Amino acid sequence: MTKIMINPITRLEGHGKIAIFLDDDGEVSNAYLQIPELRGFEKFCEGRPAEDMPQIMQRICGVCPEAHHLAATKALDNLFKVEPTSTARKLRELLYSAFFVTDHATHFYILAGPDFIMGPDSPPAQRNILGVIGKVGVEIGKKVIQTRQQNHWVIQTIGGRGIHPVFGLPGGVSKMLSEENRAKTEEIAVQAVDFARFSLKIFEDLVLKNKEYLDMVLSDIYTHRTYYMGLVDENNKVNFYDGKVRVVDPQGKEFTKYAPSEYLDNLSERVEPWTYLKFPYLKKVGWNGFIDGETSGIYRATPLSRLNAADGMATPLAQEEYEKMYAALGGKPVHHTLATHWARLIEMLYAAERMLELSRDPEITGPDIRNIPTETPVEGVGIVEAPRGTLTHHYITDEKGLIKKCNLIVGTTNNYAAMSLTIKKAAQGIIRKGTEITEGLLNRIELAWRAYDPCMGCATHTLPGELPIEIAVYDADGTLIDAVKRF
Amino acid sequence: MEKTLVLGIGNSVLCDDGVGIRVAIEVGKRISDPAITIAEACQGGLFLLEAFLGYDHIVLIDAIQTKDGIPGQVYELQPENFSSALHLSSPHQVDFATALELGKSLGLPMPSSIDIVAVEAGDVTTFREKCTPEVENAIPVAVEMALRKCPAHINHIRED
Repeated sequence: MTKIMINPITRLEGHGKIAIFLDDDGEVSNAYLQIPELRGFEKFCEGRPAEDMPQIMQRICGVCPEAHHLAATKALDNLFKVEPTSTARKLRELLYSAFFVTDHATHFYILAGPDFIMGPDSPPAQRNILGVIGKVGVEIGKKVIQTRQQNHWVIQTIGGRGIHPVFGLPGGVSKMLSEENRAKTEEIAVQAVDFARFSLKIFEDLVLKNKEYLDMVLSDIYTHRTYYMGLVDENNKVNFYDGKVRVVDPQGKEFTKYAPSEYLDNLSERVEPWTYLKFPYLKKVGWNGFIDGETSGIYRATPLSRLNAADGMATPLAQEEYEKMYAALGGKPVHHTLATHWARLIEMLYAAERMLELSRDPEITGPDIRNIPTETPVEGVGIVEAPRGTLTHHYITDEKGLIKKCNLIVGTTNNYAAMSLTIKKAAQGIIRKGTEITEGLLNRIELAWRAYDPCMGCATHTLPGELPIEIAVYDADGTLIDAVKRF
Repeated sequence: MEKTLVLGIGNSVLCDDGVGIRVAIEVGKRISDPAITIAEACQGGLFLLEAFLGYDHIVLIDAIQTKDGIPGQVYELQPENFSSALHLSSPHQVDFATALELGKSLGLPMPSSIDIVAVEAGDVTTFREKCTPEVENAIPVAVEMALRKCPAHINHIRED
């Protein structure tokens, strides 16, 4: 058995390892995505007051603390059986919309952009943000940084801190929004809408009008027919902050729609011996191995999945772009993994429009920001859409509100099985007998995975050191016969 | 007036990974100067670039893991120490050096000097609020080193 290693996966929080196994004929026989996941976080939470969860939980992830903060806060609403006030709900969603704008903008320009703007086969030294800026211009680079800064200001202003917000409380939030800050938020939202529309134009010009890229997006090696998951509002429109989880089948038909407290009736987790991370799947379909299709409980929860699972977008400009995408790609659902980048930009526009709506809502500066909980806590579940997928927090406490048990299904975990499928299929389509293993070729496998915007570590940062990628080829006896290093 | 940012980076509930934040907090207790901002961060890359904007001088404090490093070792480093990582690490990683180069290429108001205090970490995978004993013992050393990186403000160090 010949083995090819890509280690570590790049441009992500946390490190993973792709292992590609060739058969004796030099064809890809299997591929594994192994995750050296940090463990023990749930245990770490046991015995702590439930009220601490919005603070502690957001430290599990260096990338989306806001998502964990709000999922935990919503779980506390449920745990203490208290509804947040209308103003509090809107403030939470306003902060969260600003977060989505900055997170999706970062992914498109910094993480995905190099593949599409520079090209997947361009030299590694150019295939990064500096190359992107060199190609699209300094002004756009400044705009990206400005968008991030402005939306971080909104998060800091509403959330009380730049990182790790301190505003989510059971039944509400800790701080109201002043008129001065509302007005500034509105200005930022107007600019965010413009920036999202501009980004969609760039995507259209650079990707959709480039036949080579479009062929890549539509290629069978980047396509899987799976179930799709996403939060929807009462009109089945995409919602990041609240609603029910809707799942559609590979034909796009509603398969289930469940409230957060019903998630265990709908999901199970598969354990495999070669990785720490579990594989969630649809309980009512069952686990039938690493295959796609209607008989496989594997589902995806990504920007594209959210659009597939919904009937549309709740804001007008995003709805226009939604219709445009499905018209261009042959209707719903879209199964092309790389179209996730397009969906992400449509979501960015939705988030910006929603931000604008909320910043103009007369209630947003209201003083009624909290209902005080009075019930004894027992059990609570909170769900939001993290940029990388549906995020579920589930807490069980004793009568004093101390955590007895907690369970998390984080955004990326939803997609773990699907990512494994994606890597295998891409590898099978790209590495054929006699293929010379080049850096660009490996990037074409990696970019399929990158479309999911995976965040494996739910941990933190890395101060730069060498992050080598090594591809080692072994013969059937385990002898190293070839190696490609990126360092 | 020169503005300095003392930035601890890491995850405060991930054992030694949080040592940078621990050191920054201790530095904050020893300094009282409106020209010095003490802050923490949990991300690298662009987040650092944005955090740096508008400051003249940065003291960055972080955990580090080096080949053959001994947990608790404290290093004084400069951004140049990481320049080799710019293109030699992953082509996709927005690393520290790339973020700095991006700031310069965009003409953003970048700091004129950046000092890095790094503490060799032992355990960065266990969720706990304390560091390992070796790294815990290194915190005072790292604090002193970070304080020395704020020479213009040395008169403001509290004697307590």
